Amino acid sequence: MIQYIDMHAVLQQSVSSLYTDLVTRPTGRVVRERIEQAIAGLGGAGGPDGAGEMTIARIDFAGVGCIDYSCADEIVAKLLRDRPAVLVLSGISEGHREAIEPVLTGHGLAALIERADGTLDVLGAKGAAAVLLDELVARRCAARRPGGTYALTLA
Amino acid sequence: MTRLVEVPAQFDDRSFDQFAGAFAEANKDAERLLFDAHAAEWASPYGLVGLLAAGQAARRGGSAGAADRPLLTAPTNPEVLSYWTRAGFFREAAELFEIHGKVPRAKAAEHSDVLLPVTPVRAAEDVHAVVSKIQQRASAILASELGLDPKATMGFAMALSEACQNIVEHAGTGGWVAVQAYHWRRKLARRVVVIAVADAGVGFRHSLEPTQSKRFGDRWGDAAALEAALVQGVSRFRDPGRGQGLAGIRRYLVRWDGKIAIRSGTARIAIVPKWDEDVPLKDGLPPFPGAQVLIIIPEQGSTEP
Repeated sequence: MIQYIDMHAVLQQSVSSLYTDLVTRPTGRVVRERIEQAIAGLGGAGGPDGAGEMTIARIDFAGVGCIDYSCADEIVAKLLRDRPAVLVLSGISEGHREAIEPVLTGHGLAALIERADGTLDVLGAKGAAAVLLDELVARRCAARRPGGTYALTLA
Repeated sequence: MTRLVEVPAQFDDRSFDQFAGAFAEANKDAERLLFDAHAAEWASPYGLVGLLAAGQAARRGGSAGAADRPLLTAPTNPEVLSYWTRAGFFREAAELFEIHGKVPRAKAAEHSDVLLPVTPVRAAEDVHAVVSKIQQRASAILASELGLDPKATMGFAMALSEACQNIVEHAGTGGWVAVQAYHWRRKLARRVVVIAVADAGVGFRHSLEPTQSKRFGDRWGDAAALEAALVQGVSRFRDPGRGQGLAGIRRYLVRWDGKIAIRSGTARIAIVPKWDEDVPLKDGLPPFPGAQVLIIIPEQGSTEP
């Protein structure tokens, strides 16, 4: 099962309905903790220590204005660092990508981007991205499409 | 007894060291200070937020009592006075200084070149407000007047956010930010957008000392601390994800041929683009509390000096 996270909604619940930007570490920390609660509520992360079965979370960035490097690190990188998880990011703009990509690369981590047509793109460290795609295919969570692109097989 | 600190007539990052020297000299014996800006002809956003930081640092006994506040004589030139008011300077200065001179009551902001008036930054909530406001106001100017790709607006907001967070996370006190677009005749003969951030907090050396001083040994000081933060991307936190902010600002500025300079304590470091002849690192400057950050993004196109 894939956990769906509406980032804009989480942000507004976490900070203020006035703001649409993911900025500052304290904001990132609160948003990440809410996402972790949502994942744990579905039995994700395999246990209190985060070990065990891999969690797949589809995080929709639609409606999010700006994300800064601190927030990208506090949310995306720490969600990946602290548990076996796959993050599939959708609704991503070029600006979001500019903040998230160097942060993931710096940690040797990778996430996936789901494009509007459902195909997957990788974000972050190349080696980690290749391993991530291989693992998703091996678990039958993703499949190779004609033309060499990948897409999720789970709804 | 009151000690005089003269505010340079042209008050910007170039004349700031002269101002810092006068401030350090006058502030030695804890007497009340008088900042004399009556002859000011021009001040950049950097000068304005730097003057506020000096006012914060000059408050005696740490209290807000009127007798403990330094004095400030306002500029006498009506145009200068009007600009300082529009830029939001006096709104913030009123809490820090006992102001002498006629100050207009006009509200700050809503002037096309003042993208963000002098704004206090004390907490994460303030950074949210700053980023939200700048995106509303700056997008059109960044794209139409500076020729930046519209996508660069988000990067600009990111850089601004990280610069402000430096205050929240490291200064140990509040600070100020201001953003302005103007035509920079002296250096480039083209338009620029300038972000100026200043605080009178603990500064980079003090912030990084517990985790970095041993590594640098005898070299440790303000210059080494700035080098560690801006060039090596180190942070006072042991979390491996820290230090992303200044690194991110650097990436953004490399892409858009911009400049960053950070002054803290007795040193100043800069990432210098081709169009500028600033030096990368200066040490032995007059001491000034906290940290002062200057970011300049030029109009795109040829930036040959």
